[in-house]
Amino acid sequence: MSEQTFLVLTALAEEPLHGYAIVQAVDQLSEGRMVLRVGTLYGVLDRLVADGLAERDREEVHQGRLRRYYKLTDSGVRALQAEVARLSANVRAASAVLKGRGLQAWAGRA
Amino acid sequence: MGGSGMRNLERRYRTLLKVLPRWYRRDREEEMAGIFLAERDDDLDLEHSWPGWGETWAVLGLAVRTHLAAGAGLGSVPAKVLWRGEVVRALGMLGLLLGLFYATAAIASVTVGPGGAYPPDLHWWRLLELGPFVAFGALLNGRRTLAKLAAAGPVLVTVVSMALPHNPLLWGLFQLPSFVTFACLCLGFHRDAPTPSARRLTWWGGGAVALGVLGGVATGVGLISIGLITAVVRVVAFVRGDAVLGRALSLFAVLQLVPLVFLIFADAGIFVLAGGLAVLLALVAVAPVRRRSKAAPQVG
Repeated sequence: MSEQTFLVLTALAEEPLHGYAIVQAVDQLSEGRMVLRVGTLYGVLDRLVADGLAERDREEVHQGRLRRYYKLTDSGVRALQAEVARLSANVRAASAVLKGRGLQAWAGRA
Repeated sequence: MGGSGMRNLERRYRTLLKVLPRWYRRDREEEMAGIFLAERDDDLDLEHSWPGWGETWAVLGLAVRTHLAAGAGLGSVPAKVLWRGEVVRALGMLGLLLGLFYATAAIASVTVGPGGAYPPDLHWWRLLELGPFVAFGALLNGRRTLAKLAAAGPVLVTVVSMALPHNPLLWGLFQLPSFVTFACLCLGFHRDAPTPSARRLTWWGGGAVALGVLGGVATGVGLISIGLITAVVRVVAFVRGDAVLGRALSLFAVLQLVPLVFLIFADAGIFVLAGGLAVLLALVAVAPVRRRSKAAPQVG
């Protein structure tokens, strides 16, 4: 699972969001590291919908513009859980290696 | 959104979105424009800026995937778009099989053949010509980035070879099928495209390698072999009602025709042989395709 897909799934895990809210949520979740372009967002959303991990929710008109909401499906929640477990295992393994060398795992994020 | 109140930035973004297929824009244009313009209220920005390279690149990537739809990716993909994607992927796969043929012929020529087509001054970079073996295996295993990188090897060698002091135009024309099919491989096997069936294509790969051995040992029959095989498989595709393979082979025949026609005019000594092959390929190119049923086309 790419980082973009992971972050979009995470953004949708809390509540259904429209496209612009997803872009903002991904920006916050990644602490500004990932700027999701509109063209990229729709590539990710198309894939998620195709794989049954997300689906369209409702539509609203906001200031004259269409807003379409997307939400996670049960499969999407399970996929996110599995990915979180996988990443957590990797983090634990890497942290143990660093600890063995007498280093702090989070030292690089000062 | 009406056109009269539209600012320049929105107009430019909507112009950029025209690279997307019409059926996709019908569903998504308003939504995409809304996100792109959200919270942009600076007059200078709205009048004088443009979508930017990052957004342009992202929309172009989306355009490739939607024009060559993988099928499962989008719920409302028109049948002809599905079909186009399958034909491009089939053409890319045919190019990879052609690469297997050339790579095997190169090995056979150097090891057991007369070596006529492949001079003895071997350089390390000619190992790149073996890329199709790696590319074929990688593609069947779903590792499409590796497949594309490996398939680029022979293309790179060809481009470099065109700079050497011989007839670059003729060489380039002969490599036209490789160039075009490599482009099809890169565009068609995007992230959303299905992984080809390994079971079926292993047989095709084996056939290409067997023909390559023949082509390497008996130098000079390569072009004829490829042309004849194209015609035979085209007939099989018609009989089986495989419209995707049939159309891909027609395009493949056109690609082979281009250098062949040039060769006919350049060398009168082979007029009959090359002319006969050209007529056969022309028939392959214009022959009708037959669909087995209305079910989604299968390729690979």
